[in-house]
Amino acid sequence: MRPSTFFIKSLPWGRRALALAAAAALSGCQWMYMNDRQSVMKVEGPVAQTQLDLFYVTCWVTLVIFIVVGSVLAYTIIKFRARSEADEHAEPPEQGHGNPFIEVGLIGASVLALAIIAFPTFKAIGFTYDVPEAEKAGALKVVATGYQWWFKFEYPGEQIAGAGNLTTGNELVIPAGRAVHIDLRSVDVMHSFWIPKLAGKVDMIPNRANLLWLKADHPGYYLGQCAEFCGESHAVMRFRVIALAPEDYAKWVTQQKLPAREVAVAAVAAPKAQFASLRTFKQNEIGFSADDPLESVEGWRANQFPDKDEDAALIAQGKALFQAKTCIVCHTIRGLPSAVGVRGPELTHVGARTTIAAGLLENNAEQLQRWIHNPSLVKPGNKMWVEGYLVNHITLSSDEEVALVAFLRSLK
Amino acid sequence: MADALAKSDFLGREEQAAPKPFVLWRPTAKTGLISWLTTVDHKRIGFLYGISALFFFLVGGVEALFIRIQLAVPNNSFLTSTQYNEMFTMHATTMIFLAIMPLSAAFFNFIMPLQIGARDVAFPRLNAFSFWTFLAGAIIVNLGWFLKSGAPDAGWFSYAPLSTRTYTPGHALDMWVMGIQLLGVASIAASLNFVITIINLRAPGMTMMRLPVFTWMTLVTAFLIILAFPAITIALVELMMDRLFGTNFFEVSNGGMPILWTHLFWVFGHPEVYILILPGMGVISEILPTFSRKPLFGYPIVVFSGASIGFLGFGVWSHHMFTTGMGTMGTAAFAFTTMAIAVPTGVKIFNWIGTMWGGHLQMRTPMIFALGFIWLFMLGGFSGVMHAAAPADSQQHSSYFVVAHFHYVLIGGSLFSLLAGIHYWFPLMFGRKVSEFWGKLSFWVIFCGFNITFFPLHFVGLDGMPRRTFTYDANMGWSQGNLVATIGAFILGVGVAIYFGVMIYTFFKGERTRHDPWDARTLEWSLPNPPPEYNYRVIPTVHARDNWWYEKHHQAEVSAENAKHAAEEAAHGGIHMPFQSIYPFFAGIGILIGAIGIAVIDPNPDPHVIIGRKLAVTLVGLLILVVSVYLWSLEGNEGYHLHPEDEEGHS
Repeated sequence: MRPSTFFIKSLPWGRRALALAAAAALSGCQWMYMNDRQSVMKVEGPVAQTQLDLFYVTCWVTLVIFIVVGSVLAYTIIKFRARSEADEHAEPPEQGHGNPFIEVGLIGASVLALAIIAFPTFKAIGFTYDVPEAEKAGALKVVATGYQWWFKFEYPGEQIAGAGNLTTGNELVIPAGRAVHIDLRSVDVMHSFWIPKLAGKVDMIPNRANLLWLKADHPGYYLGQCAEFCGESHAVMRFRVIALAPEDYAKWVTQQKLPAREVAVAAVAAPKAQFASLRTFKQNEIGFSADDPLESVEGWRANQFPDKDEDAALIAQGKALFQAKTCIVCHTIRGLPSAVGVRGPELTHVGARTTIAAGLLENNAEQLQRWIHNPSLVKPGNKMWVEGYLVNHITLSSDEEVALVAFLRSLK
Repeated sequence: MADALAKSDFLGREEQAAPKPFVLWRPTAKTGLISWLTTVDHKRIGFLYGISALFFFLVGGVEALFIRIQLAVPNNSFLTSTQYNEMFTMHATTMIFLAIMPLSAAFFNFIMPLQIGARDVAFPRLNAFSFWTFLAGAIIVNLGWFLKSGAPDAGWFSYAPLSTRTYTPGHALDMWVMGIQLLGVASIAASLNFVITIINLRAPGMTMMRLPVFTWMTLVTAFLIILAFPAITIALVELMMDRLFGTNFFEVSNGGMPILWTHLFWVFGHPEVYILILPGMGVISEILPTFSRKPLFGYPIVVFSGASIGFLGFGVWSHHMFTTGMGTMGTAAFAFTTMAIAVPTGVKIFNWIGTMWGGHLQMRTPMIFALGFIWLFMLGGFSGVMHAAAPADSQQHSSYFVVAHFHYVLIGGSLFSLLAGIHYWFPLMFGRKVSEFWGKLSFWVIFCGFNITFFPLHFVGLDGMPRRTFTYDANMGWSQGNLVATIGAFILGVGVAIYFGVMIYTFFKGERTRHDPWDARTLEWSLPNPPPEYNYRVIPTVHARDNWWYEKHHQAEVSAENAKHAAEEAAHGGIHMPFQSIYPFFAGIGILIGAIGIAVIDPNPDPHVIIGRKLAVTLVGLLILVVSVYLWSLEGNEGYHLHPEDEEGHS
């Protein structure tokens, strides 16, 4: 047969296989470039482990079905193809109508395959829903509230005299090896709370009391992200979870309960040399440096200590600006008079967090200045901009930004 | 049966009724714009649905390409966040409501009456009204692109409270709401029409168990539409009430419950996905027997599976809500029912393979598309089963894993089967056959492009990338997967372009084909291609399933029968045809204007200010609608009679 006829009549099995293999290879190849930072496959806690084990069960069952059904399908296509022109005009084959035994057998096999998935499913539903009875007494209780577009974390078990629950934002610190029960709330629209390495997500729905439990097997640094479309900045509503050894966690709690850190000013120093003004960032530019020193427990730990090049005078200027520029209307800094706003995240110890703007920017001077310079460029529709800067006509000069940054970075 | 028909009004009396005084105009044009605006012919209406669907498919495809360009590289700024959110909202809305559903409707309209031996649907003018209302809905949903408020951007599922006025002010969402309402009206009207047609207008001898499977799937889909759309109608009415009149269905500050919207939406939304796949499964169930040259394996089981899927489809909706905190009982119940519905779906695949087993497989283009469908739908089914395991789903939900799953079943499943159907029925509808080479080339480019786009997304999703996100960071490791997916999307676009090019070329200049080019099995192939306006000169008598195959092998018996019936029908006045009418079109205009009017009403806290300029638009629209329907009812349904043997000079 001439090549063109051959091509036109029917594509040979080899060509088909090649196309399939190419498609699979192209897609499989890139798998090795994924780096598992937020992966559901590299789990580090029992809830996520249970969910992953169940996933593997479904993978095996569907793989077996694929091999069986796929081979029969492939065999059928090859074996029963009309081979030539003459073949196609031949008498039709035997006009069979079906076979009840095969039907019933296949239905039975399907039900069996599903039963293999069903039993571990029901078991996992029970296990993953709430903290196991045995661990309930010792579980840590956290309340996570979704806002457009950040997360508030409260520890009802840690009361601060005169200020209620210990409250932080966007970074959830938990003890490793201990169950954590998280109540999920929302003040505005639906959000979802997802830390892939520790647990599958549960939604945060206004007027609904959802809950999630998890446990981190070891100390570690975990990435989380909002997983329910919640408006303009849904894509950039992220958070961090830091699991610490129990002693470290206790130390962290003690530190957090303290009011904002004060940096004494020896004397009113002469104004420092001007900093180079903030560089221009590309629209939607990544907020993390390539080496990303803060993205680990060690990095987090290092960030708990004051910057070596702290400038006390600048910090004092920043503190004054924080009040003058109406930041206190939306943000709480315990120990700073009248800084009791609750519209935005609590900032009492914001300098000790590894990220800013809800897991979006690395918490260093440059990114922090980028953020307060124009929040709407970083998070579109951002409330700090729309309800703060625009409403209160907040404008910041470069020097003012630098001072505010110094102040915020000092809040360890 | 023939006697009963003869005595009924349906075939008409010998005398023509005198024209009624209120009838303003009887359109009689058979060509030109007026003939299309006033048509009540199911074949023309099917054609209108088809070209509208294919047009909106391209629109949705462009929206998809914009999405993929934005996600091709991390930290991209090709689209702003709002533009991206508009893109994914409109891509989904367009593809679901304006592409796949009307493409299915095109086949329901054109093919189903032919398959049951009928001359048209039960209510031809209502059929036209459904099309014009569909077009009105399509226009309204897309109006936002031309308005300052922009296109709707709250997602195709429009979850409350994001979709309430507090978080999404502006008329874009109101347009979306009214557009979907109109699409619902169109779908329900058409579905009622199809159900009545299938139950009442089958040819003599066509029992339910002799119906072609495509007609069965039309019936099941129609029931799904009739029963599922009211849920979203209610949800949308409640949302509009909240947005316009300050009610509190979803208003959290006053005790509203967003979870209510979620439930109502998915009570509709899940049957909707079966509405999207069942017609395609019906098409495949016609193509495989034809090109295997043997009957469908296990016809009763395939029909029963389709009906079971339709029925069980109402019991699984909360598998879209596994992460909403339904508690262990609720979650377990829906996980169970979701696994249960996998059984009839799998059974269909087994039966399709059984059809081909022992057959003589003709690898024509429709068959190649059908085989592609089976492979891809099977893969989509596997990821679906993975979702059924609710705890595993809590990691997959709202990630790209789900996106990969549903594109496998929607493109690999629904689209491939409908593209197969276009190739398969093209010779019947237009008398021309699509080139095998170009058809197969379009298949391979689409197949490869599709897999390159969506297969990697399974892995990207498992790597933690959430969906509906306008950007992602370069350090997440999702960059390569997304880039490959974007390249695949463009390859898919090239494949679609080839497919469209081929179709358009063939429509105008394609090779003419002989009658029944595939040596097919079902009744529609007994007609000339393209079929005459009245479809069957003589209503056939049905003796078996796959009646055309029976007729081909019992020609003498059938000729004698037909001659007898031809004489009977001529004696009763000939073929009864419906008059064309302009009123469905005018009613559509009325409903379009009325719906726009509702969508642009400004909510005003002062109840006395409700009567104003914007309400006038609504009133004008409603007036046009009411007058049109009134004249429609007055013009009557007498129709006229045709004697084709006289026209064509031979009997």
